[in-house]
Amino acid sequence: MIRHVALTAGLWIGLASGALAHPHIFIDTGVEVIFDDQARVTGLRITWAYDDLFSLMLVEDRGLDPDFDGVLTPEETTAIKGFDMHWEPGYAGDTYALLGEVPLVLSGPAGWTTGYADGRLTSTHLRQFADPVVLAGQPLVVQVYDPSFYTAYRIAQQTLLTGADGCTAQAFEPDREAADAILQAAIDEQAGSTDIEGEFPAIGAAYSEEVRVTCAARS
Amino acid sequence: MRRPFLILGLVLALGLVALWLTGEFAVVQTWLLDQQRNVQNRLAGAVRALRGGQPGALLALLAVCFGYGVLHAAGPGHGKLLIGGYGVAQRVRLAPLAGIALLASLAQAAVAIALVGAGVLALGWTRERLVDVSEQVMAPVGTAAIALVGLWLMVRGIRAMRAAGQGAGHDHHHDHVHDDSCGHAHGPTLSDMDNVTSWRDAAFLIGGIALRPCTGALFLLILCFGLGIGAAGVAGTFAMGLGTACVTVAVAALAVWAREGAFASLPGAGLGSRMAAAIPVVQVLAGGGIAAIAGLLLTQTL
Repeated sequence: MIRHVALTAGLWIGLASGALAHPHIFIDTGVEVIFDDQARVTGLRITWAYDDLFSLMLVEDRGLDPDFDGVLTPEETTAIKGFDMHWEPGYAGDTYALLGEVPLVLSGPAGWTTGYADGRLTSTHLRQFADPVVLAGQPLVVQVYDPSFYTAYRIAQQTLLTGADGCTAQAFEPDREAADAILQAAIDEQAGSTDIEGEFPAIGAAYSEEVRVTCAARS
Repeated sequence: MRRPFLILGLVLALGLVALWLTGEFAVVQTWLLDQQRNVQNRLAGAVRALRGGQPGALLALLAVCFGYGVLHAAGPGHGKLLIGGYGVAQRVRLAPLAGIALLASLAQAAVAIALVGAGVLALGWTRERLVDVSEQVMAPVGTAAIALVGLWLMVRGIRAMRAAGQGAGHDHHHDHVHDDSCGHAHGPTLSDMDNVTSWRDAAFLIGGIALRPCTGALFLLILCFGLGIGAAGVAGTFAMGLGTACVTVAVAALAVWAREGAFASLPGAGLGSRMAAAIPVVQVLAGGGIAAIAGLLLTQTL
């Protein structure tokens, strides 16, 4: 009983320091799912639109837009291109793809673009799958979240399905009830084990926003 | 008449904790996140307006900063853990605890200003470097101070229990919770609370909170210094601190209210001696809770 209470408290504290911490960067995300001519998914193009404050800071950091009119010259646009694309080793890019429940490996960012309009910085980048993914009866799940919750992502744009035939995409807000159920299951599971020092289960993803892509079976 | 009111505080606090533990706050969290996003965008607008020399822009910036402070303090955080936990564990009066909460928030703003002043203006650090120092160096030191406060509360509670176990019933150590009652036959009463916490306690409480600067304040300061409106950034940072203080002072009030409610709900007969027995237990539990949470946060950041 005491162990159960301790574990429950521990898990909530873990969540409190992660999922419930307060974010300092807000990003509106868009997902484009790219299909090849055999209806397989080859990659994802991710769009990030930064909040006004972080955009202002990034532009100001670099001494750009000195006349403060919210427009960058072509030279300034070149200077800021790829500002968010030099990832530290181990950074997963806050984008996670799964086929059903199986995680898929994504490449590092490529083919990036950068834009600045109305005081907001926007960037896009391409993440490719090592092998094209066949959606045979299983949905492709794309989740966007920062495990440390320093950045808050929300899917704010319609998901694009490029080159797809007979596929649909649906965006889901985090289902907190379902996420809480997963958390409870994790607590129950750990309560039976003697490993009180064990790792907290990876439940952050349950609180993320996600896109699910399903395709009709091909005849 | 006073007792039902005190017990209401306990019920209210337990209710809030239960709501949070059962995940019923999800709606509030979603709302909070939206508001935090809005206020962040408004902050950028206010800085732009000020830089553009629009009339009334400074007042607007201060108002947005105040709102930013309230909203960012409304989630779970180290300040509320420390003030709330200490308020439950130590039989301190509300006024000094609320004063410490207010001072700690203002000190947190001052630390942010000093950090940006030293880091960016004197040492030429980049924004990334500064935020790294804040999160990788200063935050763990603050968290360690919080853990120490928790451990210290536990030690006090255990000492009091031992003293009681030796049959004396009174602990003559100077920082014991019921100094005033020492020498009296009836033990502490409901109205018998510590008026002033020791300076050492106050310093650790303020340090534990202030040493972790709010990242939002760092963002604002760096931005304002870069745009040549540094004074407005400093004023805005203190406005954020006042907003944060609103929440921590409320937590202090709830902690004191709930604690006194808990004592008031003890059975009436022999109240004094029951309280004398209950206070060290509460102290050990609350201190242990603070130390455990701070320790866990520390292992995650190091």
